[in-house]
Amino acid sequence: MARGTVERYLHELDEELQDLPSSRRRELLEEIREHIGSALDRAPSHEEAEIRNVLERIGDPAEIAEEARERFGIQRAKPGLRETLALVLLPVGGVIVPVLGWLVGALLLLSSRVWTAKEKAIGVLLLPGGLLPAAGMGLAADRTCSSIEVNGVVTRQICSGGIDPVAAWAILAVLVAVPIWTTWFLASRMRRRS
Amino acid sequence: MAVLREEERYAFDLVRDLAEMDGLVISEGTIYPMLARLRRDGLVETTWRESPTGPPRRYYRLSARGRKALREFRNEWSIFRDAVDGLITQEENDG
Repeated sequence: MARGTVERYLHELDEELQDLPSSRRRELLEEIREHIGSALDRAPSHEEAEIRNVLERIGDPAEIAEEARERFGIQRAKPGLRETLALVLLPVGGVIVPVLGWLVGALLLLSSRVWTAKEKAIGVLLLPGGLLPAAGMGLAADRTCSSIEVNGVVTRQICSGGIDPVAAWAILAVLVAVPIWTTWFLASRMRRRS
Repeated sequence: MAVLREEERYAFDLVRDLAEMDGLVISEGTIYPMLARLRRDGLVETTWRESPTGPPRRYYRLSARGRKALREFRNEWSIFRDAVDGLITQEENDG
């Protein structure tokens, strides 16, 4: 549990330091890790409260990052047109211009300095194509299913694809929900940094 | 830097002392970026020393350039201080 608190703190600091060149980032992280180690050596009980005191004296990761940016004259990456375009193109770009639209969105996301590597991986890999797979599935379902109408009222749907309509709807729901969630996730992380 | 004038210091002790100094309200963590900047400017150096207990420790010390910069700053500071002292005593005399 104790180790977890320290690791969480260092992880948060690492994320905050992302605007710094990687060598500076590593160096600072290493020194603060040593500092925590030394502080805990002097407070041998290693209880959770003690660890929290040590981390409190070191200070808020955002504050340390702010100081580091100031010392090295680095501008904080601010969300701009690139980020807005990425957030639009990732979900719907692939539907407007199949595959290519999404690809442009993915490249914008990857080249942005606002998101961390992990967030970028989620944005690109969780559902490549954005809403394109959902749109594709919708079209395919239209083609394979035929309705039987009696006096203008649909009484039965026959799907030749062999997929149970309930399962098809469930898959479709996931294919729609995942890109929307991903976009919301990236947007909320972005807002936190602006 | 004045804290490093006499001797090299163990990074942890140095940072603790700086954070506890009167008049300076800073957290320990924000001192490391300052030290990193001084090191990049060649004003301080770090070395590793074996520790009797635990892993090797990082020590900070002033470099030759750092010593020179500190001397210059102290000269400027004493001129500035004398000027301010002069102003204050003058005001006291006038008042």
